[in-house]
Amino acid sequence: MTDAQNIDARDTATPAPAAARRDPLALIVRFQSVIGLVLVLIGGVAFSPSRHGQIIFLSPDNIANIIRAISETGIIALGMTFVIITAGIDLSVGAMLGLNSVLTAMLMTTTNLGLVPTLLVVLAAGTTFGALQGLISIRFRLEPFIVTLAGLQMARGLALILSGNVYINISYGDGPGLAPPVFALLGERLFHNVVPVATLVFVALAVVATVVLNTTRFGRYVYAVGGNERAARLSGIPVAAVKVAVFAITGFASAAAGIVHAGQFNFGSANDGAGYELTAIAAVVIGGTSLFGGSGSMIGTIAGSVMLGALANILQLNNVNASLQLLATGAIIVLAAALQTMVGRREGSMR
Amino acid sequence: MFLRQILLGAAWAAPLAALSAGASLAAPLAKHCGPKDKYVIGFSQANYAEPYRQHVNNDLIELAKAIPQFELQIADGAGNDNTQTSQVDNFVTQGVDLLMISPFEAAPLTPAVARAMKAGIPVIELDRQTNGAPGKDYTAFVGGDNYKIAFEAGTYTAKTLLPDGGEVAVLEGLPSSTPAVQRLNGFKDGVKQNPKIKVVAEQAADWVPDKAQTAFSAMLQANPDIKVVYASNDMMAAGSYLAAKGAGKEGNIGIIGTDGLPGPAGGVRAVASGQWAATFTYPTGAAESLDLAKKILLDCAESVPDTVTVPTLAITKDNAADLDKKLKF
Repeated sequence: MTDAQNIDARDTATPAPAAARRDPLALIVRFQSVIGLVLVLIGGVAFSPSRHGQIIFLSPDNIANIIRAISETGIIALGMTFVIITAGIDLSVGAMLGLNSVLTAMLMTTTNLGLVPTLLVVLAAGTTFGALQGLISIRFRLEPFIVTLAGLQMARGLALILSGNVYINISYGDGPGLAPPVFALLGERLFHNVVPVATLVFVALAVVATVVLNTTRFGRYVYAVGGNERAARLSGIPVAAVKVAVFAITGFASAAAGIVHAGQFNFGSANDGAGYELTAIAAVVIGGTSLFGGSGSMIGTIAGSVMLGALANILQLNNVNASLQLLATGAIIVLAAALQTMVGRREGSMR
Repeated sequence: MFLRQILLGAAWAAPLAALSAGASLAAPLAKHCGPKDKYVIGFSQANYAEPYRQHVNNDLIELAKAIPQFELQIADGAGNDNTQTSQVDNFVTQGVDLLMISPFEAAPLTPAVARAMKAGIPVIELDRQTNGAPGKDYTAFVGGDNYKIAFEAGTYTAKTLLPDGGEVAVLEGLPSSTPAVQRLNGFKDGVKQNPKIKVVAEQAADWVPDKAQTAFSAMLQANPDIKVVYASNDMMAAGSYLAAKGAGKEGNIGIIGTDGLPGPAGGVRAVASGQWAATFTYPTGAAESLDLAKKILLDCAESVPDTVTVPTLAITKDNAADLDKKLKF
């Protein structure tokens, strides 16, 4: 890869931020999820029940609960952001979580692989599954929507076959059929029993994903492929490789989420994770990433995920019916998408 | 020759049985019956991938082994009305001697059950019912009473766990599903027996542990004085325990589950190990339905009770350890 190609890649990625500087509305969209998160947090504080003068919503325990609740869908949303920026979509992630939770539980309880090899095998399996979806999509020129819809079915089917249609319980201990006790750490909390380990996994992966998307050459390629695939190809970007890589990333993220799921609840279940793909897509869209590709941000996705979690939490703290939560989430998605379209039109008229 | 008589007999008995099921006309419920033959029982299970339903299957398989005349075939409806309908139709075409079914949903499976009855196959509905009346639209219903089970849990809370009153939380199953509503109402009516008990929070957690953990964490934040949480199934009780542990309150909160499942992740073991206060079994009804099948097929019964309600068993620290040793999974 030469430097000239590098510059090209950067150029194709820059129009959106450049426009953002000009248009105040675009600025709002760019930070819409952060603004939304701030609004939800303000609302949370305003409506939070309080105890001994302390606002419950802001208590460290409660914040930890919020982040724990979104850790699994959040990890998936991180991967999903890469795919959606390339104008793709991955519907298989929820089923993949189920499959990988089963795989984790099975390897833990039926083999003597040990902790680290088990986790590596699961992560490799998830990554391979994702990469295969990417390859099929490119080789047969199929829409990612279709390929990953098929992937969803296959992952569920595989999970049902592997698990023999039953929950696989993970019991801890030393000896055959027992999982290494250190794996139970995923369901524990650290730092004076406040910070859930699942949360730490999410935060660590979020930092890595942000760095990869924002500072590496690969990150710029992802934007370039989603912004204008032809231009990206002409400027020498390995478009196919980038596309396969983003699906490998969602596969990896789903596997990580599956491991976290198995560790938190001490079982693997083929049916778990149903609908997670939609929660993850919602977080990404609320985060300001365009489903048409080319623009978006990892910080936005993280803020979007936390916002959905905080919203659910404040409604639960006030013992509000779950149906209202669905209504609120729906309204926020429409608002986020509408804002993007408005900016898109303005940019179009300015050119 | 003998076989031909049976077949002939079946030809006229079938329409009669369909016309008069439950009435006093002296016709056996089954097309052919008697203690010596072999019989195929088809069981259409709503969905394998739920621990409770797996437990039912295991129970049925285990108990059916003891009856040499019976061959049990189980089909997985996979949580899909269409799949289950075609399985029932297959059983009918195949000519099973008796059909057992736990319909995934009531209305969609009603026509399939009607076709089986019309074909002269006795139908025992297990745990869930289709539309219509037992004894008429299907032969019999065997199951627990969700309202009564949860009412028992409420009574146990009101009289044993919190005789002096206190704050209580409820985790509901999937809203709008019948058992979720029945268990919610049963528990709330049960705790009303003690006016000093206050239900301070109720949230739906859709039967799953992750949602239960999230919801109960928030409940504990908003109401730190909660003393008992009633979870409408064992999986949600497991999630509640994780939430209580996260808040550093395990052992201080009485957790009640429902279903009383066996195995390492089931409620029986959780009560035995002291993590939960109690769980109330949702009976499988396997023994009771096989008893009905015996009456119908082996004893040529002309009528059977059309509804068999199987009582719940309270699993508490007094009996959990013994049961845990006894139960197979």
